[in-house]
Amino acid sequence: MQPIVDWLLLGSFYAAVALGFSLVWGIMNIINLAHGVFIITGAYIAYQVATNLHLSPFLALFFSMGMLFALGWIIQYGIINRVIRGPLLVTFLLTFGLELLLTDTLQNLFTSDNRFINSTIEGAGINLGSAHISLVRFISAAIAIVLTAALAAFLSRTRLGNAILATGMDRDAARLMGIDIRQIYALTFAISAALAGAAGALLGQMQAFYPTRGELFTLRSFAIVVLGGLGTPWAVVAGGMVFAFIETFLPVVLPRVGVGYENAVAFAVFVIVLLVRPTGLFGKAFYSQ
Amino acid sequence: MSANLSPPTASETILELQHVTKRYGGLPAVDDVSFAVQRGEVLGVIGPNGAGKSTMVSLIGGSAAPTSGKVLFQGQAINTLPPHRRAHLGIGRTFQLTQPFTGLDIRENVMVGAFFGRRGLSRSQALHVADEVLARVGLAHKATLKGDQLTVADRKRLEVARALAMDPRILLLDEVMAGLTPAEVTDAIELIRSINRDGVTVLVVEHIVRAIASVSDRVLVLHHGRKIAEDTPDTVLSDPKVIEAYLGERYAKQKQAEKDPAQPASEWMEGLA
Amino acid sequence: MPRETSSTASNSPVAGSGPASGDATTTRAGRGWLWSLLGGLVILGGIAAIPTLGSDTLTSNWTIITMYIVLAQSWNFIGGFTGYSAFGNVTFFGIGAYAVAVSFLSNPKVISPYDPQRPQQFFIGLLAGVVISAIFAFLIGLPTLRLKGHYFAIATLGTSVAVEEIVTQRDVAGSGGLASPPFPPLSLHIAFYYGFVALALVCLLLTTWLARSKFGYALVAIRENEQAAQTLGIATTWYKVGAYVLSAIPTAIAGGIYAYYSSGFEPATVFTSSISVTMVLVTFLGGSGTVLGPIIGAIIFEYASQQFALSSGQATSVFGYHFGSDTLLGVAIIIVAIALPQGLVRVVQEFTRRPVAGGAGASGNSRANQFVEGVRRVRKFIAANGI
Repeated sequence: MQPIVDWLLLGSFYAAVALGFSLVWGIMNIINLAHGVFIITGAYIAYQVATNLHLSPFLALFFSMGMLFALGWIIQYGIINRVIRGPLLVTFLLTFGLELLLTDTLQNLFTSDNRFINSTIEGAGINLGSAHISLVRFISAAIAIVLTAALAAFLSRTRLGNAILATGMDRDAARLMGIDIRQIYALTFAISAALAGAAGALLGQMQAFYPTRGELFTLRSFAIVVLGGLGTPWAVVAGGMVFAFIETFLPVVLPRVGVGYENAVAFAVFVIVLLVRPTGLFGKAFYSQ
Repeated sequence: MSANLSPPTASETILELQHVTKRYGGLPAVDDVSFAVQRGEVLGVIGPNGAGKSTMVSLIGGSAAPTSGKVLFQGQAINTLPPHRRAHLGIGRTFQLTQPFTGLDIRENVMVGAFFGRRGLSRSQALHVADEVLARVGLAHKATLKGDQLTVADRKRLEVARALAMDPRILLLDEVMAGLTPAEVTDAIELIRSINRDGVTVLVVEHIVRAIASVSDRVLVLHHGRKIAEDTPDTVLSDPKVIEAYLGERYAKQKQAEKDPAQPASEWMEGLA
Repeated sequence: MPRETSSTASNSPVAGSGPASGDATTTRAGRGWLWSLLGGLVILGGIAAIPTLGSDTLTSNWTIITMYIVLAQSWNFIGGFTGYSAFGNVTFFGIGAYAVAVSFLSNPKVISPYDPQRPQQFFIGLLAGVVISAIFAFLIGLPTLRLKGHYFAIATLGTSVAVEEIVTQRDVAGSGGLASPPFPPLSLHIAFYYGFVALALVCLLLTTWLARSKFGYALVAIRENEQAAQTLGIATTWYKVGAYVLSAIPTAIAGGIYAYYSSGFEPATVFTSSISVTMVLVTFLGGSGTVLGPIIGAIIFEYASQQFALSSGQATSVFGYHFGSDTLLGVAIIIVAIALPQGLVRVVQEFTRRPVAGGAGASGNSRANQFVEGVRRVRKFIAANGI
């Protein structure tokens, strides 16, 4: 029972981790290698806000989202928009540069010590049969699902969301329809960064974090998106669930591989999926269809 | 009328498709198609958009594998061979959407075909072949341009030149006349004839019916992935089934009521070009 | 994907002009390769002369610069020529380093500086590193080189992260992968320097050969259009895997020499993605797929980063080397990606490209006009990447 509860909570959290990554990839065909460090930045912001303003970490989440939204907007509008028509490799390289820069900045600001956001509801939880559900994890999972639903609704129900989807489908056609591509791209990237900020605020309450931790989350995001496919926001949840399933139950099956090989596992999962089923387990061809 | 309108009786099959089907996610793009190509002939393949023509070229060229059925080249099953092995056997093809090596110049584009499509050529020999082929297709004066600096017609020529440099036994031409002006189409037809005169078997896939009728010994018609006719151009083009496939049922009936149904239909096909 | 050609094609002035005049700098079939080779030889000759100046600091700085020249040249085989954006070539560097470390550790006798087996142990390690890297590149390349673009990039990136993790977890060469093998002191410290110079020379010759050989044409054809390459008879899989193995081998040797040079290292230093991305960056800076690009790019970037590190007073880190701080690397990447994605060599080519006879625009032949024209072309060249 306990492993199943752990799995579902972790899977939901992973959806929040990869949601923004999937959006930017689907709409702009950019692999954002700085995604992981966005998450860690979000964790640090939530940490600072929660510690200094004595706020609940779940309220600090909104600060993380807001600040990363601004950061994402600036990065896309000021930097990535300038190279987006260049070779794929250039945008890839560029986001790697951003990752290095942000990681180093975090290291200079906060040192490389482990941090953890102490939650006011730390340790609280409910028992469900033989399983214990930690309240922090439960609320985090719920927030992750709410964010997914909100993104899905935003994309399909609002004019702005439709404009984002239209731009993702056909940039030139969208331009002809009078959509300002720069603004749409900046907005998309900003939303993605804000989602990463939210994931960071949740992460900080569940795990210790440090600046270089971001790389692992980028790799996981990639594995999750590849698993779920570049379909809809809900495909990310599906991918997160499958990935969490592997991470939760692999140690049970192969005790020696389970601990300490998180990167290798994430890597192996996505390479195998890519080779066996390149469109993902549930994926469709494009983000909006 | 050229002599090869009636193929020699003792002809030899160079390429054969046996009950070939290709499905993309359940939908058949090519559906149980069988036919044979005789050595030395020009076989035209026509069909409306989405009839499965390009898919069929890919199945022969090797960039797609059939879901079921067999592709035989000179009696050998080539279903599972990768494209480069088929190229070495002597199958050359062009792409409907031209695929130049954009960073290389035109001469080098063609040279790659000679270098890798034939065996044992040195660099300078391959360049020599490239120059010959370029002269033949009329691109010699553009040899130093880059692959992405050409007009549509020249890109199509480049496709043909590259395939030709491989010294193929059979040449699969996938819509090399689409998007050309009437004068350019005439040039293209002349080029295909001259290639064929040199002993290369040609399979021409085309949307333009007039062009195909004038260059092919036989014509095969695909519709919704199925073969609906295979015969000499005149016979095929007056076949009501074919007219219907192209212009819809109503138009076909109307035409039949107005005119003698036996009349060769090349006239109305003209309008499609 | 067809690109827009109408603009270039319609005002293309060559249509009516005579046969090939053969612009040597841009045509691979021309003589450009000879000039590139000569240029490369001159640069490497200059580097080889640096130790004669007698400055130890200078020599050790240029040891690292030359190492990066080798790494960039090797990356160029798979990334520049073949167009497969490998972001994990540091894997081979780390394998080479650990092979040498394990080789020394496996034979405790060589602790004695008088042991005659001392040099052998180093070369055994180098050879093992080469063999293991080549096999690893082959085995990893076979499946991952079927992936395109982003997927291949992240797969290779993941490879290096995964291998680092495994080396750490399996305690290769020491607890947590911390390697401090009993490297015997070398009386000839300069040997490392010339080791890297020799390696760079071999890579230069290989690159020049690639620029002209059948193998090289296959790789470039794959880069330009893989589908067309296959159709024209190129066994793309084998050529790609070949290029990957070719790029792994010098990288592994460089890693092996570096292991000895550094005299101690851990997984985080020899498997760091920063090294992978530096290979990509400097090759881009110089011009990927060109003969001189990786050499020039590595010199400019590594020299600049050393100067930067010196002036900000963070010249060395724990193990006595400096790859340039990640901040500097990050900033350099952003600048290069925005301003110079085609690389210096190509910008110079674009700038000096002679306008074709009777070209569009009635530009006079004066030098000033040519200069303005050149600047205009280069600006257009760079702006082509924007939204």
